[in-house]
Amino acid sequence: MEERMNQDQPSTEGRCGRFWNGMDLLKDVTENKHFLPTGLEGVDTLLGGGLRQGQLTEVTGPSSSGKTQFCLHSASHVAAKHMGVVMYLDTSNSFSPGRIATIIDGTPGLFGQRAYGVQLLGFDLQPKDVRLKSIMRNIICESVFDIFALSEVLHQLEVSLLNDKEKNGGSRIRLLIIDSISSLLAPIIGGKYPQGRAMMISVAMTLKKLADEHNLSVLVTNHMVSAGNGAVKPALGESWKAVPHVRLVISRERGSNMCTATVLKHTLLYAAVFSFPPRWFLMYAGQQQQ
Amino acid sequence: MVVMVLFAISAGPTGSSDLIFLLRTAPALPPRLLIRRPVSRRSSADRPRPASHRSSSAGSARSSGSCCSSSSAPPPPRRRRFLAGGSDAGRAVATRRVLDMGAGENNPLGAQNAWDMLSEEQSQKHITTGSGDLNGILGGGIHCKEVTEIGGVPGVGKTQLGIQLAINVQIPVEYGGLGGKAVYIDTEGSFMVERVYQIAEGCISDILEHFPHSHEKSSSGNKQLQPEHFLADIYYFRICSYAEQIAAINYLEKFLGEHKDVRIVIIDSVTFHFRQDFDDLALRTRVLSELSLKLMKIAKAYNLAVVLLNQVTTKFTEGSFQLTLALGDSWSHSCTNRVILYWNGTERYAYLDKSPSLPVASAPYAVTGKGVRDVSSNHKRVRVT
Repeated sequence: MEERMNQDQPSTEGRCGRFWNGMDLLKDVTENKHFLPTGLEGVDTLLGGGLRQGQLTEVTGPSSSGKTQFCLHSASHVAAKHMGVVMYLDTSNSFSPGRIATIIDGTPGLFGQRAYGVQLLGFDLQPKDVRLKSIMRNIICESVFDIFALSEVLHQLEVSLLNDKEKNGGSRIRLLIIDSISSLLAPIIGGKYPQGRAMMISVAMTLKKLADEHNLSVLVTNHMVSAGNGAVKPALGESWKAVPHVRLVISRERGSNMCTATVLKHTLLYAAVFSFPPRWFLMYAGQQQQ
Repeated sequence: MVVMVLFAISAGPTGSSDLIFLLRTAPALPPRLLIRRPVSRRSSADRPRPASHRSSSAGSARSSGSCCSSSSAPPPPRRRRFLAGGSDAGRAVATRRVLDMGAGENNPLGAQNAWDMLSEEQSQKHITTGSGDLNGILGGGIHCKEVTEIGGVPGVGKTQLGIQLAINVQIPVEYGGLGGKAVYIDTEGSFMVERVYQIAEGCISDILEHFPHSHEKSSSGNKQLQPEHFLADIYYFRICSYAEQIAAINYLEKFLGEHKDVRIVIIDSVTFHFRQDFDDLALRTRVLSELSLKLMKIAKAYNLAVVLLNQVTTKFTEGSFQLTLALGDSWSHSCTNRVILYWNGTERYAYLDKSPSLPVASAPYAVTGKGVRDVSSNHKRVRVT
């Protein structure tokens, strides 16, 4: 084990990574790290544009509050506006292609737009099915049911992104969604041994590295656990709190279709006093409203 | 990335029980799968180092894990291919797999694009519950490849619904059903065989009512519509402790590999053994999360429906005691769909609480001598709350 740990130490300058100056960083941020709108106007306003590339966004909330719907909406919107390929890692078999088709059908303004630098030529002449097919082929869904499978998938993704970078000068994948990373981490976290937390942090570091190097936006969902005295708090503990760049809490009242999103943590706001009025977004009618 | 730390052997009573659930149920690999593919050496120098490092550590992790766990189905081939490739060949395979959707019949857990999944989803049949209203709020019935949790107070009809589903999954394909078998895991002992016989008879009489002439025309290869055949196709497991429950679910993967025509797995009261025997609630949460992931995997890999029946408990929220499903907040995230059965006056209602594609709704149903059926009244409407 000692040898393996020493092997990980960077031994040459080449492994150290390049250093950036402030202007390089600014150039990278303005050119590469755009916002991916989720299609839900309230949330986009709240987040200042949408899910940022290069950042890890976490959505947490009690059961049946709309987290999976949030993920499905983001995936459909990014695919429908032809911003890139969406990779959806599903742990609870909740990826519903029928629901994606319904959301995409309701997306306005698909034809004749210059979306994200890609000119849509001739799309207004194609029948509905062909359009839906071309959009839905950009959403890839894979089921992962344990944390090791997730690590493997992320590693394969890293390899393919590196490959893409060499050959095509940029990757096609824009958004990576892990619907319920907390259900993968719940079996190993807790107890008196810290190995579970080590696994969690290593997965988190891989996700952030992928986001930063390949300009992906990563969206993960988390669930809530009880915090004593009837209160609830996000799961995964104190070590996870520092991991996501942006954290949102969603709640839904019983019997209603209106979900409320509140920002728990955000890296881009530079005011001293933050006030985040909750924004509402309507889910099931297929429209986006505030 | 260092993967092998989770397999450190530890002593102590709580340590060992933690260990059981930290270990992945890695299968015992046949020797030929561990041999690396012959790869060209020229590109290994510019390969990022963690890749080969990770493959060796994951390989050793698998072999160390296999000695301590029960066997399960052989791993999908894509994992072995990935571990063996440390070069351009491996990278090409990985690229092809991630972006070109390598899922299919032989690899149901692989990546697929949404369009292919849509066509698969539209061609899938649902398991009818016996009540038209209930089918309506569920989108046609219980979905395959999903885990559905059904909870309710005692006496509202959970076991009846479970037995009805075990019978309805066996309706032959020519009468609109799935023609599959059922696995019934009983933890409370509430599976009454005489009642199952009665429900099977009720189901057959309904089929004959709807398809009056096809019974005479059925070919000799078809299943005879006899209650005995329906009973014979239910695989029944009686579980008496939480350890047996965990073992049964671990065994299910192997069992389902041998019996490929099982289309539904019903666990009657997944909560029962976890409510009284566990002092350590954190351990219970970990065990249950692992259990639910396994059930999700079984549902997806073998294309069947998993139905979990759950009990209720009281919770003190917002100043009053309310009924919620047992097993805590973290278990509520472990299912794909959730249906809550409740009493409204003298009628039984079902409320769809959680679903990825359907809105919340409630519908009445009745438990009759023939099983779960619609409420036979003139005011049959689905109330959307």
